[in-house]
Parts: sequence; C-alpha cells; structure tokens
Amino acid sequence: MYKKAVFMSNLYRFYHLSVVILVLIVVGCASRDSTGINDYNQFAIKAAEAGLWNEAIYRWNQVITIDPDNAAAHNNLGVGYEAQGKITDAVASYERATELDPDSKYYRINYRRCRLHIRRSGSETTESDDDSNSE
Amino acid sequence: MKKITIHTILRFLRLTNRRITLYFLLMITVSLCACGTHVSRVSIPIKVQSEIDIDTYSKFAVLPFVSEEHSSKLGELPVEIGDDIGEILRSRLARQEKFEIVNKQETNRLMTGEEVNEEWLKDTEHLSELGKYFEVKGIIVGSYRFISDTQPRRYYGERYSARHQRYIMDYHDYLQKSYLLSLRVMIIDIDTKETIWDEAYLQKTAEAHTLGSFVFSQMAPQERTLKELSKRAIADFVREITPHYEQEDRFLIE
Repeated sequence: MYKKAVFMSNLYRFYHLSVVILVLIVVGCASRDSTGINDYNQFAIKAAEAGLWNEAIYRWNQVITIDPDNAAAHNNLGVGYEAQGKITDAVASYERATELDPDSKYYRINYRRCRLHIRRSGSETTESDDDSNSE
Repeated sequence: MKKITIHTILRFLRLTNRRITLYFLLMITVSLCACGTHVSRVSIPIKVQSEIDIDTYSKFAVLPFVSEEHSSKLGELPVEIGDDIGEILRSRLARQEKFEIVNKQETNRLMTGEEVNEEWLKDTEHLSELGKYFEVKGIIVGSYRFISDTQPRRYYGERYSARHQRYIMDYHDYLQKSYLLSLRVMIIDIDTKETIWDEAYLQKTAEAHTLGSFVFSQMAPQERTLKELSKRAIADFVREITPHYEQEDRFLIE
C-alpha cells in the first residue's frame, strides 16, 4: 500500500515535470520563429526538392529580406542559384553564408564544391543558357 | 501566508541534486532533438564543359574504324564492323547541336577507292589532306580490339536437402565467357596536323554458360555483342567532348 502511494506520488511529480519540459520546448521553438522564417525555409526546401528552383529562390530571398543575417538562407539561396547556373550569384551567397557562420561544415562543403566546379568548367561568369534546367 | 521559495518547490517535488541533474540532462537532450539543425541533401545539375575547344572543332568527318591486327581470338570478325562503329559514332555526334558531321553518303563518296588501314592512324599528313576534301576542322579515326576469354567458374550457394532436413552448402560449375572491347578514338586537327585527342575506351561484359550453351555461343555471331560494347564506348567518348550536365549533391539547411 505504501509502495503504491510512493509510486503514485512519483508519477504525479513526473507528470508535472513533463508538462514543464514540454511547455519549455514549445515556447523555445516557437520563439525562434516568430516571423515565419522557418515556414518560408521549409516551403522553399520542399520546392527545391521538387525541382521548382525559381519558387525556392523567391522564398529564400524573402527570408533574407526579413533576416539579412540568416546564414542558412544565404547558403540555400546559393544552392538555388547554382542549380540555375547563376554561378556568380551562387558564389556570393555561399561566401556570405560562410562569413555569417564560419563553423558550419555544410556551408563550407557547398562553397568548396562550387569553387571546384568553377575551376573545372574554367569560367566564373557562367550564366544559365539552358532554360530546361531551371525548372 | 507562507512564502513560496525555490526550496519549498524543490521540497514539494522531492527533488534531490542528483535528480535535478538528471532532469536537466533529459531536458537538454529533448530540446536538442526537437530544435536541432536538419540538413537536406539535394542533387543539382552541374554543367560540365567539353574537353575540346568546341568553338574551333565543330565540324567533323568520321572515318571507318580499323581492326587492330592479330587482336581477335574469336576467329573471323565481320569485316563491316569498322564501318558500323563509324556510323554509330556519326549518328551520336550528329545528335549534338554543337557539332556538324559529314554524313555517311558524303563520306563514302569521298572515300571511294580508299581503304582505311592501321597505317593511316599514324599518317596525320594524309588524314589532314583528306580532311581538307571534307572541308572540316577535325577528322575522327580510330581502331578497335575485341577480345574474348572463357574461364571455368564455381558458384557456391545453399540448397535445401530433403535427406538431411536442412540447408546444405552446394556448388555449380559453369563457364564464364567475357568480352572486352578496347576502342581507340583519335581526333586529328586538319590545319596543324596534330592529334588533339587520343584515348582508349574499355568496355566489357560477361555471360555465364553451361557446357551446352557455351558450344552454341561459340557458333553464334558476335556482331551484336561487339556493337553493344561499341555503343557504350562511343557514349563515353561523346560525353567527354560534348558539354553536358551531371548531378552533384548540395546541402540545404532547414
């Protein structure tokens, strides 16, 4: 009987604590995105995965308008530009992303691969001349 | 009214220091799982430039390919396969908008009375002269070597034995017939008489045979296998000299 009481008491405490943790997580995550940046970014990534690069680029540009120091958006925008063959713009975006967050390995990998591609193709000012690749 | 302090809350929750630490760690783990960085991998098209100067070399004539002497271990190969390789290459290049290719009829007309042989591949002077008749910037020539090899092989596997009431190790002997094609492709500059491209493309395939099917395969014509391997080798060559797109991975950060 005593053990049952102790168990119920512990359960009650855990319940309270779990509620507190959940509230903290929800508040913490929500406070990160009060401007809809996360939604824009998520939507843009879905568009990019579907090959709709123009739409994705438009959304990432919107994110940058709201938060000009968003390194992820600059990086993603770089990927979008590179997919469209706008290499000069892609390099500028990657450079900005690595400036804003020099510790991210993903930004560095994207940037390095882009530079490697430029060296291989031998031209930095390659603009998309094939519309079939844009969307 | 009793004053509520942090100690009274802790006493109410009966939280010891150890428990507080555990809860704190749990909270951090859950928060990291919920709010961590997510990365998506996407493939993007990357434009790969031609390995030759396509502005200079945009018009080509393709001559029939020659069989390298004493190369075949398969006996007599069809004589016209060199023409077929040339024709496959001609049609593949003609599909590319950057290139203009002298057609088969025109090539045959200008090559009447001439027979391409292995010596031609070294004689860039002669090829250059020929190219001037075709009015092209580059002339494509080459040779091929087709080798076949048969080796006995053993395949180990498992089969269910009704007698032993369990799976037992078993093996099958078979003959593996391998085909190897080495296609050498050369591009000769008509003006400078230099070889601007000289690469060999290897393609291979293999077939598994029982003794019976092996005998039939020896009698069957090899032309289709040779053509199929030629197509693959030519595709490799055309890919290298034509601007094309390749897929490359990039990371999107959520």
